[in-house]
Amino acid sequence: MKEKLLIVGVNHRTAPVAVRERLAYADGEIVAALSRLRQRAPALTECALISTCNRVEIVGVATDSGRAIEEAIRFLATDRGVATEQFTGALYRFAGRDAARHLFRVAASLDSMVVGEPQILGQLKLAYGHAAQADTAGLVLHRAFHRAFSVAKRVRKATLIGRGSASVSAAAVRLAGQIFDSLGDKTVMLMGAGQMAELAARQLRNMGVETLLVTSRSFDHAVALARTLGGTAVPLENHRPYLKLADIVIGSLAAARPVLEAADFESILRERRYRPIFLIDLGVPRNFDARLNQLENVYLYDIDDLAAVVAESLGERAREAGKAEELVAGALASFMQWMDGLDLVPAIKDIRVSMEQLRDAELGRHRAWLAALEPAEREKIESLTRALLNKLMHRVLAGMRSAGAGSPDSAYTAEVARRLLCGDLAAEIPGARAQTAGLDLEIDLDPDGDDGDL
Amino acid sequence: MDTIWLPPALVCYALAAAGFVWGRAANRPVSSDQAVPLLGAAVLFHTLDLTVGALNAGNIPVTNFAQSLSFLAWLTAIVSFVLIVRMRMQVLGAFVAPGVLAVAGAAMMLGHRGRLVIPDSLRSAWLPVHVTLAFLGDALFVVAAGVSLAYLVYESRLKAKRPLLPAAQTTPSLEKLDRINYRLLGWGFVMLSLAIVSGAMWADATWGHFWSWEPQETWSLITWLLYAALLESRVTAGWRGRRAAALTLAVFTVLVGSFLSVSLVFPGKHGGSFG
Repeated sequence: MKEKLLIVGVNHRTAPVAVRERLAYADGEIVAALSRLRQRAPALTECALISTCNRVEIVGVATDSGRAIEEAIRFLATDRGVATEQFTGALYRFAGRDAARHLFRVAASLDSMVVGEPQILGQLKLAYGHAAQADTAGLVLHRAFHRAFSVAKRVRKATLIGRGSASVSAAAVRLAGQIFDSLGDKTVMLMGAGQMAELAARQLRNMGVETLLVTSRSFDHAVALARTLGGTAVPLENHRPYLKLADIVIGSLAAARPVLEAADFESILRERRYRPIFLIDLGVPRNFDARLNQLENVYLYDIDDLAAVVAESLGERAREAGKAEELVAGALASFMQWMDGLDLVPAIKDIRVSMEQLRDAELGRHRAWLAALEPAEREKIESLTRALLNKLMHRVLAGMRSAGAGSPDSAYTAEVARRLLCGDLAAEIPGARAQTAGLDLEIDLDPDGDDGDL
Repeated sequence: MDTIWLPPALVCYALAAAGFVWGRAANRPVSSDQAVPLLGAAVLFHTLDLTVGALNAGNIPVTNFAQSLSFLAWLTAIVSFVLIVRMRMQVLGAFVAPGVLAVAGAAMMLGHRGRLVIPDSLRSAWLPVHVTLAFLGDALFVVAAGVSLAYLVYESRLKAKRPLLPAAQTTPSLEKLDRINYRLLGWGFVMLSLAIVSGAMWADATWGHFWSWEPQETWSLITWLLYAALLESRVTAGWRGRRAAALTLAVFTVLVGSFLSVSLVFPGKHGGSFG
């Protein structure tokens, strides 16, 4: 009878990409898939589908969580045409508190491949949007997703988890920011066009670099790349005069010998009037002489140096993740308290309905003389009875809540209140009134007793 | 000249210095942010202290070594506070605030040593002008030395492939540190030049000659030449970055030497005898 949040799915840790790609949904398919899911998994009262390159998860709400999870798994298998055996080993199933914790950790980017990466929050918002669009999100999912978003924001604000550089090209751009104040007036020279070099050049462009020089083994290639990146092509055999203009040089040429030697770089430095120069060597074997780093105002980072910087910031993220887990635990506690309060909802509904029935019945009994009254007077009697009912309901609710949401006492109090106030039940079943009265009410129904503050 | 305002100023300097250093060492930018208003409070208390001192003395309160230290610490704190707030250079606090604390602390410890009365012959409008220019120049050089120290620390980390990446948003770039160093040196040089000129004019008005080769004058000329050479090397030879930072520190040690020796070892007109 108690509703539970549940999650079933696979992620980058439990399943290889070969499995994930077969279970994944494109954004455009999800709304329709949710409608099918609702039909084929009747145990689910609410559901959402998260599908990213690192995870496929069904988030749902059900009272019978075991059955709902089995239905959801069967749905995934048939809907995606994958035999169940092929992915059951990789599946994780969470219910109740564990499910909420998982959802919050995913949102806070603690479950990501690169811990702290910011995209996952947007992907979760998209999943929530799809569920809202398919009308499969209800009270619990709305609450759960909103809590997840707010904990993610708090984690981002209060910890350094998103700081640092998670990729080699990002680390290179960060380092450039440590050397140069603004990148707008700087010149970047791309020597060779490896994929990582191109990525770094693009990111530097995004950071405001205006001038980009491109040189490559084949001049045609340099011209083509210069066109896509919005730069100027320079022939490789004639690149030296341009070196004194460049503030950042990215090397990724396939060359057996270094293209830049420390010995002949001194003169370039003098011509540059010792303005700092950042050499990023992404080539293997290395493009730039390692001794260049010893020259004044020259900063040389090769691929291993950059990888070390990345590793260090990932380590920093792991330390910050500890703080993030604490924030998740706090949010989880308050969410579970709210979930426990949901237990009272069926009892409250029953009481409300039975009292409404009582009121309708009484008004019905006096239909004859009520009809004889002026409409204004009739209206007054209607509103008077409604107000009386609302006041009574308010007291009942306050009494039920005072027992403490989620505690065994609260469930008991709710049940007692339901039996006492649902008069129709007593009327339908002869002896029910006596039975209710037979409960040992005097012992436990003391709202001001010791259990009151539990 | 102790007033009740110096101890609270010192407490605030100490807390600010601790905040800046801890923020830097433990990579906690929040701690540095909290130190900024503390430094501001310290400057306020210190200003009250100097104001009361000036009212008592009837002129700028720089009549002995302790007061000179206090005045220098105050100007240095103001210059760093402005830089920290305007240029968002919290990092600078870690390199300058401990120095300010030490100098202001020394000023308080030495505070009771005999105060001198300014002879009537020197009670002139030139006194505050000349003294403020000279000390402002010194304060700018102190902060420039702090910036250079920060430059050398960050530069060596970058060279050693151990950059401070996670807190990169709060760490100024080398280019920015170098530029600020250059500007501080420039303004310090202007102040020093004006101090020398105003001193010469004052001397001419009082004693009838511009220059008498007394120790402070000689040392001022030496430091003036050194700073001129430092600025010149940047403009003509393009000496910047690490070399400029190292030279700034080297010239600064000469400045400290001249300040101490003139005040304590060869007191001429400036050192306190006011002959």
